[in-house]
Amino acid sequence: MDIFQALLNGFGVAFQPLNLLLVVLGCLVGTLIGVLPGIGPISGVALLVPLTFALKMPPESALILLAGIYYGAMYGGSTTSILLNIPGETSSVVTAIDGNKLAKQGQAGPALAMAAWGSFIAGTLSVVGLMTLGPLLAQWAIRFGPAEYFALMVFGFSTLSALAGKNMFKALIATGFGLMLATVGQDPQSGISRYTFGFLQLEDGMDFLVVAIGLFAVSEVLMILEEKTPGAMRAQVGRIYLSFKDFMASLLTILRSSVMGFLIGVLPGAGASIASFVAYTTEKRLLGSRARFGEGDLRGVAAPESANNAAAGGAMIPLLTLGLPGSGTTAIMLGALVSLGVTPGPQMFEKNPEVVWGLIASMYVGNAVLLLLNLPLVGLFVRLLAVPAWFLIPAVLAISFIGVYAVNNNPFDLLLMAVFGLLGYLMRKFDFPLAPVLLGLVLGYLMEINLRRAMTISNGDVGYLFSSPIAIVLWVLAGVSLLSPVLIARFRKQGLGQGDGEL
Amino acid sequence: MADRMVGALVLLLAMGYALVASSMQVGFLSDPLGPRPFPYIIATLMGLSALWLLLKPDPNPSWPERGFWLPFGLVLASLVAYAYLIVPLGFILTTTLEMTLLSVLFGARWWQGLGGALAFTLVVYFLFTEGLGVTLPAGRIFG
Repeated sequence: MDIFQALLNGFGVAFQPLNLLLVVLGCLVGTLIGVLPGIGPISGVALLVPLTFALKMPPESALILLAGIYYGAMYGGSTTSILLNIPGETSSVVTAIDGNKLAKQGQAGPALAMAAWGSFIAGTLSVVGLMTLGPLLAQWAIRFGPAEYFALMVFGFSTLSALAGKNMFKALIATGFGLMLATVGQDPQSGISRYTFGFLQLEDGMDFLVVAIGLFAVSEVLMILEEKTPGAMRAQVGRIYLSFKDFMASLLTILRSSVMGFLIGVLPGAGASIASFVAYTTEKRLLGSRARFGEGDLRGVAAPESANNAAAGGAMIPLLTLGLPGSGTTAIMLGALVSLGVTPGPQMFEKNPEVVWGLIASMYVGNAVLLLLNLPLVGLFVRLLAVPAWFLIPAVLAISFIGVYAVNNNPFDLLLMAVFGLLGYLMRKFDFPLAPVLLGLVLGYLMEINLRRAMTISNGDVGYLFSSPIAIVLWVLAGVSLLSPVLIARFRKQGLGQGDGEL
Repeated sequence: MADRMVGALVLLLAMGYALVASSMQVGFLSDPLGPRPFPYIIATLMGLSALWLLLKPDPNPSWPERGFWLPFGLVLASLVAYAYLIVPLGFILTTTLEMTLLSVLFGARWWQGLGGALAFTLVVYFLFTEGLGVTLPAGRIFG
């Protein structure tokens, strides 16, 4: 099918009243999550998945809602970075450097408008990229057999471990722990119980939502309890405008950062946060003395904000075409899709075109909605920060309880959530990245089943895993990515990466 | 030093995990690989990474002041209590109590916290049960 015909059908899906409503709702909730500190996109998406189940949404509607929250949060994260120097999300940490300087110089309006326009352009470009690259990659990936899939997942976990967090070995432990959790419950092929320790509630395995909400939302509450965040916050927004001259001066930065962010987003493990760091430092070096990065330059806002939105779009590519999520948020989307009876992967383009193309079309709509909503409404969102923490945080937790309980109607899951909350807090303290746990849990089943299918085909010959050119390339790439932190460190030592130590 | 302890714990976890795998009973109806090798691979990966952590630990994390552990323990204990009480006492009562406790820990006066908690709990309870069709426990003690 022709791409444009497919896209047209996609718009047919996206413009159905329910889906249109969900795009707007997703963008609103996403922006809210982005603005409010204390709840990130991962917890936000995890909390809304039970809702899509409860409302018996069709899979395309569920995905449209969840994706809207994801890129909406990228968008909203910049607001508090600029106005209050408090990043709503990790992907907006760099935005605060120049954004808040601008706000202090009375330039909050242009900075917010720049973030909005940069996000819009980058978001739209990344959907174009998704639309053109997605089907190509899917056509290629459709020939993957179990051996290639297993190698692909090994590659995914290696890049994830190499890129997520400061210490690769801690990321590997986190990945391994996630895979361990995935083996809890009935063995997919022989049917025996593994690691249930007599708990009947564990027969069906650990639910990814319970783990996600415990690990992210509950541990976040514990972190905030430790940090003792200030109560209500207020900020002046002023008029949101951007002069044509400023816009043109930043256009190249936006375009470059979009491409960079998109490519980084496609890589598993390197999400929006890394994209925004890389885009900021690259632009800083590229523009040199022509820009005043660090002192309040609009391009210092444009670069990270474009990059993180483009990365959110890029992250959809491995999810949709390979069924391989690269971040915690997309891992939850994968889990949700599987629960709704859709298996993400190359077949999806043929079997469930309404899901893929409906999502792509809805992302065009969503980006426009975000721009239209946010330019006039930023002031309103910021006023929400006046809600005191003593109300907001317990309220988020109460919603978490509902989300967790609604999964199986079983209070046992609430107990598990508390355990994972404590674990998440300790992992944060010891600098273990959390996302690999979630990815390991969501992908562990597929990884094992592909390994076992491959071994069934080859009758137990391990060499089969390395028998096709694609598989070999993936194994090599996996090895290279595990070595990359060592190589990067060596480059740094030779002085090639000077001045980036703080980033 | 703290990382060394974590490394040792992870190593024990990996060994225990592999040990449990080795004692799995496999029936005759299995694929060539069976249910054990995948856990062995994971245990190896974790064990080796844990050894690395034992040899090259990161600097110790900064721990919060001693005054933090009481509220921290209270939150965790209340979460466990919540899981046990939600069915007998019902969603509204348990959630209001839990939210009130948390509000106070986050700096509210108890009456502020109770008011906010009760209002929010009632709103979400009816929103989710009536509006969205989610079942939440009404409370066994009430009937």
